[in-house]
Order: sequence, then C-alpha cells, then structure tokens
Amino acid sequence: MIYVRNRNNFFEYPRTNKNYSVSFVVPAYNEGKSIRETVEHIFDIGYGNIREVIVVNDCSKDNTQEVVESLMKKYPKLKLINNKKNLGSAAASQNAGLKEAKGELIAIVDGDSFPAKLSINKMAGFFDDPKVGAVTCPVLARNKNKFWEKIQGIEYQAISFARKLLEYVDAIYVTPGPLALYRKTTLDEIGGFDESNMTQDIEATWHLAHNGWDRKMCLGTHVTSIVPNKIKPWWRQRRRWNIGGLQCIYKYRKFIGKKGMLGFFIIPFFMINMFLGLFGLGVFFYVLTRNIISKFLYTNYSIQAGTPLLTLSEFYITPSFLNYLGIVLFVAGLIYILAILSILKEKIMTKENILNIPFYLILYLILYPFIMINSIYYYYKGKWVWR
Amino acid sequence: MLHSQKHVFWQALLVTIVIFSLGILMGFILENWRTSKVDQLFKKSEIDLLDARVQNEIYTGKNFDCSLAINENIKFADRIYNEAKTLDRYETASRLSDEIYLEHKKYDILRVLLLLNSMKIKEKCNSTYHEVVYFYNFNEQDINKKAKQNVYSNQLREIKEYKGDKMLLIPIAGNINVSSINLLLDVYDIKESDLPVIVIDGKIKVMDIKKLEDLKKYFE
Repeated sequence: MIYVRNRNNFFEYPRTNKNYSVSFVVPAYNEGKSIRETVEHIFDIGYGNIREVIVVNDCSKDNTQEVVESLMKKYPKLKLINNKKNLGSAAASQNAGLKEAKGELIAIVDGDSFPAKLSINKMAGFFDDPKVGAVTCPVLARNKNKFWEKIQGIEYQAISFARKLLEYVDAIYVTPGPLALYRKTTLDEIGGFDESNMTQDIEATWHLAHNGWDRKMCLGTHVTSIVPNKIKPWWRQRRRWNIGGLQCIYKYRKFIGKKGMLGFFIIPFFMINMFLGLFGLGVFFYVLTRNIISKFLYTNYSIQAGTPLLTLSEFYITPSFLNYLGIVLFVAGLIYILAILSILKEKIMTKENILNIPFYLILYLILYPFIMINSIYYYYKGKWVWR
Repeated sequence: MLHSQKHVFWQALLVTIVIFSLGILMGFILENWRTSKVDQLFKKSEIDLLDARVQNEIYTGKNFDCSLAINENIKFADRIYNEAKTLDRYETASRLSDEIYLEHKKYDILRVLLLLNSMKIKEKCNSTYHEVVYFYNFNEQDINKKAKQNVYSNQLREIKEYKGDKMLLIPIAGNINVSSINLLLDVYDIKESDLPVIVIDGKIKVMDIKKLEDLKKYFE
C-alpha cells in the first residue's frame, strides 16, 4: 500500500544548494584486502566538500596500516588513527574517529564497503530538513558469484526496499554501517555510538528515534559491501545482529508504548518478529518430534505384526485449509520478492534466480529462528564479542 | 518533504482483516463442500441400509432369501468401509468446522445398525461369514495408541482383501459419546481406555498387537 501510493517519488531525493562539509569515518580491523578500494571509492565519490577521511585502525594484524599510509601520499585529506590498543568494536573506532571529525555531516563507511559515485550528493539534501538526523541508502552485495552470496544479494535488496517503505511511517530502525550519513550535532547529542552494543548502528538509530530525529532512506544511490561467502561467517554475522537487537530491546524496553514510533512500532516489531520466529520453530519441532516418535512406534508395531510399513492407500492428497494457506503465503512471498527485484531494476528472470528465489523464500528464511535461538543462548551466557 | 503516512497502519489492518476473513470463509466453504459430499454419500448409504432392513422384515420365515441378504449386507458394509476412508481423509484435513465430526457420528450409528442387521441375518441364516467389529478411538491424540490403531487398520485391510466376502468389517469409533455405541461396548465388556479393540464374531477380543499370521488363524 505504501509503495503503490508513493511509487512516483519512490526513488526521489531532495536536491540541495548547501554545501555541507563531510567527514568520513572508516573503522578498520584487518581490512588490508579491501581498504584501498574503500578509500579510493570515497575520494572518487564526486562530492565537492570532503573535509577529511579518517581511517581508524584497530590494531589490525594484517597490512591495513601500510595500505592506508601508502594512500595518504596520494590523498592529503586522508588521516589515519592507530588505536593504541585493540578496542574490540567498530563502535569504539567510530567514536575515536568522531572525536577528530570536523565536518557538519559524518559519513560512516565500513572498511569493506564501497559507496557509489555521487552517493553523498544525493543523500546530503535530506539534511536541509532540520529534523533529519541520519540518512541511509541501500546496501547491496558486492560479491555475487557464489550461491550463498547471490542469496544474500536477494536478501539485501528486500531489506533495502522494506527500509524505504518504513521511511514513510517514520520507522527506519537501522542506518547500517556500510554507509550512513549523520548530522554531526546529532551524533554528539547522543554521545556517539554505544560501544557495548553489538550493532551500534541499530542502537544509534533507536537513540535518534528516541530523541525525535527523523531517519531517511535514499533509494537514488547505494553502497556495496562484501558479504560472507560461507555459512559459518554468515551465521556469526547474523548472530551478532541478533544479539545487538536483543541488547537494544533490553536497553529501550521501558519505552514500549512511548516515544512515538520507537515505542509503538520499532521495539514491538523487533519483539514480535523474534517471538513469531521462536514460536514457529517451537511448533515445527513439536510436530517433527511427534511425527518421528509416531513413525518409530508405527514401524515397531508393524514389524511386530508383520504388516507392510507402507501401503498404497497411505498415498493420497487431501489438502487442508492450512495447506492452501501455506501455498498462498509462499506465492505472496514470491510475488513480493519478484516485485522488489523488478522495482529495484534487478534482472529477475535469470536462470539462477529461478532456483535462488525459492531457495531464499523456503530454506534461507527458515534458518533465521535457528540463529535466533543460538543468539539468545550467547546473549544469556554473555558470550558476545564483536569479532 | 515527505509527510508521515502512519494512517497506512489502519488501512493495512483493515485490508488484513478483509483478506483474513476471506481466507477463513474460503476454508469454511472448502470444508462444508467436503461435508456435503460426505453427507450425500451418507444419505445414499442410509437409504440402502433401511432398504436392506425392510427387505429383511418382508422376507420373513421361509421366504427369507439368506444368500441375497448376506450378499447385500456384505456389499453394503464394503461400501461404507470405503466411504469411511474418504471420511477419514476429510477429517484429517478438517481444521475449521466440526460438521465432519457430526457426519462421523451419523456414520457410526449407521454402522451399528449394520451390525445389528448382520447379527440378525447370521442368526436366521446360520451363516459362516466372519463379523469383525473394530472399535477405535476417534481423533486419537496418544501417539502410541494412534500407531497401534494404524497397524490394526492395516492388518484388518489385509485380512479383508484376503477373505473378501467371507468377512464383514465394521469399524466403529468407541469414544464419540453415542449411547448405542456405549451400549455395544458394554455388551462386549470393553472400556474406553481399552481401545483399540478388535472383536471377531462377537467372541474373540484382540487387544494387543498380534502377528498378522496369528490373526488370520481366527478366520480359518
């Protein structure tokens, strides 16, 4: 409904005559392979008033420092902060960079992310509205060669689309690390990023919402980011996101039902999402366990009785109303994803997508509640570290 | 600048309620359609049984045609046994309405009538066919008993295929709170907690899993 109503201005962004000075802060830990390209992308972004680009090296064990130092000769506005000791989180490095940043706007860019050309030009106009505290843009998968990367590519598109929809109801709940533009005074007001939180970008966005700042989404540009290409690092990343979400819920729990959309939508939305995922998984396991025990008993009795385990009469299709509901849900999900990819100008009818989209809808999303259980365990045990 | 469109929540809620209601309505329509299908089958079976009983009443004394009555009775039993399978499938898929449960009750009463009819014919004709009543639990939730019931059903189906017209198989749910069925359970001295139970020729009660071959021996 939101999209249909706003489809004519969905990709639009406000133009500005103001020339905001922008400081880039790039936290980096072992980003030797990508940091050069990230810095080059920033300086090649086409924005006329870059105040400085601050790379904060959190005691990387690889050649991050050397790469940045070599780039400093080429880019005089590039600054390097080497943390004296490993601070252990992106938030701490971002805060270290913030202290040095002098721009009116602060662009946070992850060390493995690559902002598109003119992205800042397109995002900066939102700040003409004095109520806007942060602007984000679609994060797209940089690497889309392997199967797991392609699946995440679909997911990232879906997330971007949904985030734009949320903008229309003042409910953007995260301005992600790959590229987020903040008003400097806003970040100062909330005291920078929460270093104890595993998802400082979510926490900062909730904090902004709590303080009444608007968050905007610019669909006219994007940033690409390297996504995990294997299940293990992907799982770890998602676990970190979930733990960060849990930390945020805990921190802001007293604002449920207060503080506008934060208490009326964002926090309940996170909680209901988690509950439904866990409830669904619980039901799934209950049914599965019951069926396994039932089959075991049936097999046992059948062997005891000397009757066949399978007979033709057991094969029939009499779908229940719930089976039809499941099919309708799947088709609705499929239409939703296809519509998103179409709206975001992604080539849909590729041979790969014929397999990838159903996989994403059926198997990939099913993994979420499992990660949630794992995350709750880690959260409960206090076993969370940023890296 | 964009204005907030939070009123979309109310509109979305309304649309959701409409779609959800439509879904539930479709579900009811689907289940009612199945119920009416079962109801049609039932009515036909009910008429046939009444017809058979009236015939029995008419053919009294020496006019009574035993072979015809036995054949009719077994044919009829086979048909409602097959209809029971359809009913069972619909019951498994039924989620919204309890109409199908009422159909089940009606069918079970019909089966009791069939049993009584069969008893009468057997007595009159001194017939040798086997009369098997399978008392089970409707909508059994205990997975152990459910597994046992499935195995019993398989065994009885196998024996029925093997014996054909020499066996009259009448499955009856013993836990649906129908007075005539409760009376029947009393007659056979079966408690609801004993179910599932197979009663062969009104004398032998099978309450534990037996080898198919051993079970077949009762029918020799």
